[in-house]
Amino acid sequence: MLEACIFATILCGFFGIILKKNLVMKIISMDVMSTGVIAYYVLIASRGGLFTPIISNVKNVRYADPVPQAVILTAIVIGFSIQALMLVGVMKLARDNPTLESNEIEKNNTP
Amino acid sequence: MSTITIAWIALPFFVGFVIYLLPKLDRYLALCMAFASATYALQLFLERSPLTLKLLDNFGVILTVDQLSGYFILTNGLVTAAVILYCWHSDKTAFFYAQLIILHGSINAAFACADLISLYVALEVSGIAAFLLIAYPRTDRSIWVGLRYLFISNVAMLFYLVGAVLVYQADHSFSFAGLRVAPPEALALIFLGLLTKGGVFVSGLWLPLTHSESETPVSAMLSGVVVKAGVYPLVRCALMVEEVDPIVRIFGVGTALLGVFYAVFEKDTKRMLAFHTVSQLGFILAAPVVGGFYALTHGLVKSALFLIAGALPSRNFKELQHQAIATPIWIALVIASFSISGFPLLSGFGAKVLTTKNLLPWQAIAMNVAALGTAISFAKFIFLPRGGQADVKPGFWAAVILLIGGLVLANIVYYEVYTFANIIKPLATIGVGWLVYLLIFKHSILKLPRVLEEFDHLIGVMSLILILLFWKGFAWLGI
Repeated sequence: MLEACIFATILCGFFGIILKKNLVMKIISMDVMSTGVIAYYVLIASRGGLFTPIISNVKNVRYADPVPQAVILTAIVIGFSIQALMLVGVMKLARDNPTLESNEIEKNNTP
Repeated sequence: MSTITIAWIALPFFVGFVIYLLPKLDRYLALCMAFASATYALQLFLERSPLTLKLLDNFGVILTVDQLSGYFILTNGLVTAAVILYCWHSDKTAFFYAQLIILHGSINAAFACADLISLYVALEVSGIAAFLLIAYPRTDRSIWVGLRYLFISNVAMLFYLVGAVLVYQADHSFSFAGLRVAPPEALALIFLGLLTKGGVFVSGLWLPLTHSESETPVSAMLSGVVVKAGVYPLVRCALMVEEVDPIVRIFGVGTALLGVFYAVFEKDTKRMLAFHTVSQLGFILAAPVVGGFYALTHGLVKSALFLIAGALPSRNFKELQHQAIATPIWIALVIASFSISGFPLLSGFGAKVLTTKNLLPWQAIAMNVAALGTAISFAKFIFLPRGGQADVKPGFWAAVILLIGGLVLANIVYYEVYTFANIIKPLATIGVGWLVYLLIFKHSILKLPRVLEEFDHLIGVMSLILILLFWKGFAWLGI
């Protein structure tokens, strides 16, 4: 059930990138998509159990797998930085193309 | 050796930030770094056995360096050095050199790693650095071209991440070897990411616009090495897991034909070279065993061609045919064109013959057609008038001599190729290509539409390739 929701999120983001005309909306759709991907990593990590694997008095419970969570942290940081960089680029473009329609920008800027 | 490897991977990032702190030393530091990489690669050829490092146990970073990555790293070092020499007397700021070296380092990391997550990090860092280099002139067009590149590569890498976690679920590690036990959908998602990033087949059609609209040194860098960061993992996977070898070969043949088809009809020098990169990537993938040597020759020759194309008086072939270009530039252009069409005495010849020997029977005809197309498209350069005046940048000759010297020296790697039967075939191909060019294509005015290169279509094509790969993967693995 959760897995289906996550795939729906990824697909929503992907179709948003194609169908939305505005450049900022496209970037937000990309963010939705990457949120879905991150959630999928968390879901995979929690297959074994939900407990945090740290040393404590609790014995023999089902632990969550720390590896995918640790790995996805890198992807979150990279995704965030790319988002920031793209928004800066869009701000620069917005001075000459206030509507930010991607078709228009593309028409003006290809030979 | 393992300490040297780790230090060498970390060094470019360190040097990149030092350049930013000491702007006076920018180009010297950058050049030293590029030559350090080339030296390291030469050292790899002396090692017989591959070196595998596992940092932080099974879940952590796995690095593998052997002769295959040696070829790729050598390409990276030489092309970066040439680009720095080309920019030596220009007014580029320290920021440019810092980004260049960080790009160099991230691509080095991609050539050394053997697990999916460190590959992801290396590819994304190279994407960001490449975006900053493309957008360096700060004009609207360069920003849009860069944004498009970043957007497409990031979406592709998101699919790749989903594939990576599916591999982890099946194998409990992120190493490439886990692809063997992974479900077909993991294979499809990972391949989509790498194909798009590497500019292969239809999903690689973002490449021509990006490479042709960026500045001369940047496009030399992009075409010479950055796309190879996406291709290298495919070659590595094909060698490590033989189940994926046929898929890689199919995409190799497809992209070789597609790229050359566009290149033959193209009327713009830089776009022609960019389409040609697409086709040459196909040659690398078509015979993964010898892909390394092909990548080396292609990287050297393509960056030399981009630098020379930047020195020509116009970008339009129609105008160039009426405008004489300086004889020294023409000679350099002809040497590079000969190498890429596979003329003996240049290493393009050895690479072509080596690739032809390692093809499977069903690939042979298609690859010969692609080689003929190469000869046709480069006849456009060879038959240009000469004798005019030239005003080139001061660093131009140093860069071009370094690259072409590398091409000639790389011949000795595979000197036993010089037999009569081997030499006749490329000469015949080139001859037929020139004939076809002079008779038909010199006067053709057909202009191919650019519909497929629009942004929305590029993203849409990704989903089509995904479906194709799913279907292929299911059929292949017999599920």
